[in-house]
Amino acid sequence: MTKLNYAATFGLAVALAVPAMWAAEVHKEARLDIAPGGSVNIFNNGGSVNLHSDAGKQVVVVYTMHSDKVEVDQTTTADKRRAEFRTHVIADQKPSPEEARVDYDVSVPKGVGVTVSGATATIVADNMNSDLTLSTDTGQVTVRNVYRSHITVHSVAAPVTLSNITNGTVDVTTSTGTVEMTSVFGPKVKAGTTSGNITYRGDCAGGGEYSFATHSGAIDVFMPETASVDLSAHTETGALQTDFAFKAKDHNYFTNKQGSSFSGTSNSGLSSLELRSFSGKIRVKKQ
Amino acid sequence: MNCQQFHEVLPEILENGGNEEEEGHLRACPDCAVLVQDLDYIGTQAKLMMPMHDPSPRVWEGIEQSLRREGLLQEGRTPRLGNVMVLPHPAQNWTVTGWIMAAAAVLAFAAVLIGYHPKLQTGEFSAQNSAAPSTAVFDGDDQQVLSQVSHQEPAVRQAYETSLREVNAYIVDARQAVKQAPEDTVAQEHLADAYQQKEMLYQMASAHGLQ
Repeated sequence: MTKLNYAATFGLAVALAVPAMWAAEVHKEARLDIAPGGSVNIFNNGGSVNLHSDAGKQVVVVYTMHSDKVEVDQTTTADKRRAEFRTHVIADQKPSPEEARVDYDVSVPKGVGVTVSGATATIVADNMNSDLTLSTDTGQVTVRNVYRSHITVHSVAAPVTLSNITNGTVDVTTSTGTVEMTSVFGPKVKAGTTSGNITYRGDCAGGGEYSFATHSGAIDVFMPETASVDLSAHTETGALQTDFAFKAKDHNYFTNKQGSSFSGTSNSGLSSLELRSFSGKIRVKKQ
Repeated sequence: MNCQQFHEVLPEILENGGNEEEEGHLRACPDCAVLVQDLDYIGTQAKLMMPMHDPSPRVWEGIEQSLRREGLLQEGRTPRLGNVMVLPHPAQNWTVTGWIMAAAAVLAFAAVLIGYHPKLQTGEFSAQNSAAPSTAVFDGDDQQVLSQVSHQEPAVRQAYETSLREVNAYIVDARQAVKQAPEDTVAQEHLADAYQQKEMLYQMASAHGLQ
């Protein structure tokens, strides 16, 4: 009988504890009509924002608040062209970072643009066909499987990872964060950092303009032998290495100098690849 | 003019003032500017401490010999401006205290000069040979940016501080490169990039301030 009492007590404790844990979290769902080509803005300081496409015509936002010290304000314009979700602290409340967290899961119809702004928020965009403007200070930004879209990312120190981006324009600016790009192609791909490293893996396909620039960060480009690029690489005080068989150009806006500047073409030179680092290392290697 | 050349003519500059080239180096080189300020301060303080009596000739000869030993005065050397550097002839009576204060001022002067090592060579850039960001002081606009994120978590505030330091170093380097080669397109692009980086930081901080 004693063992049975223990088991019953334990079971009762678990049964009471689980709802208690869930009671601290509040889950809400919002479904909004949005005009074609409209936009959704998410302002969320901490927590996470997950974005993906939906076949429907509504914006579906599911958010989880981890305390009752924050709330989410939701607004939509009368013409349904813009919807906004804004996390804010309730007046006179002082939540801890954990209590201030709100996690969003956002589904948008194809063609509806999304803007996300945060401080420590982690932002993930996966499988989308929408223009994205993402900014976070120290969180993390991951964008994958996005096609035919304009992608703009701003970060202070957050690392930025892009993969499988096709036929889109990409503009990434981060101060001390790293930028990693894998299979990113489009008419214009641009990344700039102050001290963060930039790594690109792919063949710079599509005849686009690829431009990577840093102050002191390193730039590493890994390309297959079949890549068709017109390369200009220059560093003021850093070092330049390439193990590609480029055909040197006779004429460019700077002079080729062993170890610090080079311009040349690989195969037919369809895409333009410009690499500039003031004092960082630039490496162009075979994949 | 580099720091080494400036160092060689520093005594004349302190005595008679500098020419245009020397003044230009002072404006461009923060290390040399700080050194001149320190030496001026030492000189001013030493005068305040000294009593109003001149030391004996033996004292001045001793000072001159110390300066020659340290390489700050060379035998038979003509100063840049063609002026002859003449040590003041002393009056007859000087107290022991004054003698000690003068020697202390000279030793402090020599110690500062010996200990002074210019950090940058010609083609000096703040990021060269340095893994750490420049410790430039934040100006008023930067301070305002930092105040806009002051209520954020410590990691966010620190990220803005570090980034502002690094982007200011980028601007310094890019400006220097453009100054050295105004027709250099790459240098101009770096300067534009540096300012864009700073603008991004300001915009992101402003967004926090508005929220």
